[in-house]
Amino acid sequence: MSQRTIAVVGAVAVAALVLTSCSGGGGTASGNNQLDVDLSNLATTTEPGTAPIDEVTWNLPYEPLSIDPMLSFNYAENTVDANLCDSLLRLNPDLTTGPGLAESVDMPDDTTVVYSIRNDVSFWDGTPLTAADVVYSLARQSGEHNGDSYFGEYLTSVESVEQTGEHEVTVHLSEPDALFNQAMATAAGAIVSQAFAESAGPAFGTPQGGLMCTGPFSLESWSAGKSIVLAKNPNYWDESLIPKAEKLSFTFIADETTAVNALRAGDVDGQYFYLPPTGLNQLQGDSGATTTFGKSFVYFTLAGANQEGPFANPTIRQALLLAIDRQAIADVVFQGAAAPAPTLAGPDFWGDQAAIYEPAFAEFDVASDPEEAKRLIEGLPEAGETITIAVQGSSAVHEQTANLIQAAGESIGLKIETKVIPVEQYGNMYYDPAAREGIDAFFTTWYGNVTDPLDVYAVFTTDGASNFGNYTGVNDAVAEARATLDDEARAQLTVDIQQQVTEELPWLPLTYMPPILVQSDRISGATASIAYLYYPWAATIGGVE
Amino acid sequence: MSIATFILRRLGSLLLVLLVTSFLVFGLMYLAPGSPLLFVLGPRGGTPEQVAQVTAQYHLDDPFFVRYFAWLADVFRGDLGDSIVYRQSVTDLLGSRISTTVALISLAMIIIVVIGVSLGLIASLRGGWIDQVITTLSTLGLATPTFVIGVALISLFSVGLGWFPTNGSGSGGFDTIVHLTLPAIALAVASSAYLSRITRASILEENGREHVQTAVARGLRPRIVVARHVLRNALIPITTVIGLTVATLIAGAVVIESVFAVDGLGSLLVRAILQRDFALVQAVILVLVVAFVVINAIVDFLYTIIDPRIQLGSKQ
Repeated sequence: MSQRTIAVVGAVAVAALVLTSCSGGGGTASGNNQLDVDLSNLATTTEPGTAPIDEVTWNLPYEPLSIDPMLSFNYAENTVDANLCDSLLRLNPDLTTGPGLAESVDMPDDTTVVYSIRNDVSFWDGTPLTAADVVYSLARQSGEHNGDSYFGEYLTSVESVEQTGEHEVTVHLSEPDALFNQAMATAAGAIVSQAFAESAGPAFGTPQGGLMCTGPFSLESWSAGKSIVLAKNPNYWDESLIPKAEKLSFTFIADETTAVNALRAGDVDGQYFYLPPTGLNQLQGDSGATTTFGKSFVYFTLAGANQEGPFANPTIRQALLLAIDRQAIADVVFQGAAAPAPTLAGPDFWGDQAAIYEPAFAEFDVASDPEEAKRLIEGLPEAGETITIAVQGSSAVHEQTANLIQAAGESIGLKIETKVIPVEQYGNMYYDPAAREGIDAFFTTWYGNVTDPLDVYAVFTTDGASNFGNYTGVNDAVAEARATLDDEARAQLTVDIQQQVTEELPWLPLTYMPPILVQSDRISGATASIAYLYYPWAATIGGVE
Repeated sequence: MSIATFILRRLGSLLLVLLVTSFLVFGLMYLAPGSPLLFVLGPRGGTPEQVAQVTAQYHLDDPFFVRYFAWLADVFRGDLGDSIVYRQSVTDLLGSRISTTVALISLAMIIIVVIGVSLGLIASLRGGWIDQVITTLSTLGLATPTFVIGVALISLFSVGLGWFPTNGSGSGGFDTIVHLTLPAIALAVASSAYLSRITRASILEENGREHVQTAVARGLRPRIVVARHVLRNALIPITTVIGLTVATLIAGAVVIESVFAVDGLGSLLVRAILQRDFALVQAVILVLVVAFVVINAIVDFLYTIIDPRIQLGSKQ
């Protein structure tokens, strides 16, 4: 069972296509384009807007393919869905989890989860939310339908879902699963109207089929290629999140320069960027907009892609990482809008178990040590072989990072070649083993979904769908941790997993990336943290007086 | 040749061109790497079962000819097929975008004809330093890439002065004209420059002709000489260039629609190609080919009006 997280890269072909490389590359990019980011003090929210406002225009980096929450596993899709569909639980801006459509969760035993559903909730069309809708929404993603959902891997242990009371739904699991309940705060736990979804059929979630949920905004229209318009839901059950904006309109400007200009000109009120766009420092300097960097589950990594070849040897990977200057990658490639990553899971995943994770995390650093790296690989037969890294064509971030890594490898005697893969093929790396042939490693911008480092390491299970190099070192430990429901005990187990993964490095941790929220001075209040993917981030947006 | 025969002939060659183009486009899309699976299943693909299911649903594993002829048969029944990626009918997707692109190109054409012809006229008739200035400007216009002009226009008129919106196609009517003004100007610059060159050259050439000299010698007023003798003959090359320009505008729109995030056929085509959305790519290209052929026919027809000596459909 591996976690299904998103790689920005291959995903967003159009958006990425316009990430045309614009910097000098090869580490020669100057550091004077640095953004003003305080990475030690990332935001979770922004000052709520006070005034009611007629319309907020928000840009998405590309047009969603579907807004069916089950198929919403990506940036633009979730940015929209988070305002439309409530989940059973709610991921709050500070990355804690609280009640959502379920006002309480009860676990009579380790494999039974009982959700008490609120009785004061209606769908946008006025029909009341029933336990049957909840059963339907979970059942359409589990059992024989597990493969239909992009979130399926969080629901693999679901054995059955049944209504056990007028407002009560019970989930039976085949084995204890700590990630299942936590994932109910993501779109995996989003509840849709059974009647509506069944009558819409396969068109559900498309411009024709529409959507029916309970969120603070309702779907007013989606004209393909042009815009998605949401309208305020004045009857929203959570009175603290009744929107201040009457309308929320999404545009789909893929071209970065155009998007930045639209923000500067005030044609667009805001956008979340997942990679620092060129011209962001210009935007930051502008008085017309505010840039906020948020707490994050996103990390940039070089993922091992093959069970054979030089990169399959952990010592080679250790040596290469030791040779890489991660601080330089963060400063130069990401213009300072990223932090060097000592481990894959960063501090924002820790939640209330920081006391356990922090000392374990502090044992790793990001300092490079080429001498030690050289010593490590001395006499290794694999050291003479060529390592091939796949780079996504037309991505400046990929190309520049690859150049830095190539130079680092060369300095300790490792030969590294890059293979440029066109953006429209890059996504094949994630699901087609044939595409990974001849590739030792590739870059990915990965994100976790729940506040638990186990979510990050759960990728590394034997034959897991996203375990590209099929690293098997922590398979049993991950299974054990996932079945451990006690948070503290699970954290202890996860620390051990993290230790082993960080030593054996199936994926090389490179940087942590905060979401970049830009809001025009006309508005304020959007959620700043990565919770915007699942929390109704636009409900608190209001006008600035 | 009568108008009916002319139209029939043109229709016949149009069908032939469409058939050949569709075959080429289908073949090239088939050979190009990448698969629509990525976009259907989301960035992380999906389980092997999902991949197999979608592959079967869209016949992605069928041999080339089976797929091509199935598509062709559907088109003859009037069904352009469904977009794999957008999960909706291609006809629906094309509908609103065609009008956006037509509006954009018409606006650009108006600018090109008005600016191009008048600059060419002024340059050739006035001469001197005005001619110099116009020639220099047109060189500049021809040499600057369309997207650079687009970005510059946005910086100056949208971000700087705030006169025009930075993106989008507006909500219809006057709003659309406001939204499409900058993209149309960006699109029109190079062609206006070219048209002014052609106008200038053909007017100078006609000016030197014997019948013009005769007319001048007979003491006709200059305005009448220009209108009756110079312009009329110069119109043939000018019309040809205008016709060809429409074709280049269609290509230019692909770029400019991306820069201004206008939801026209161009941006749709780019995305469809990237996403390997076969049916959509085919449909957009067929629309463009039809537009191209129809415009050529109109230009041919105009020749006979401008100069009745030219026969409809003549090869000269």
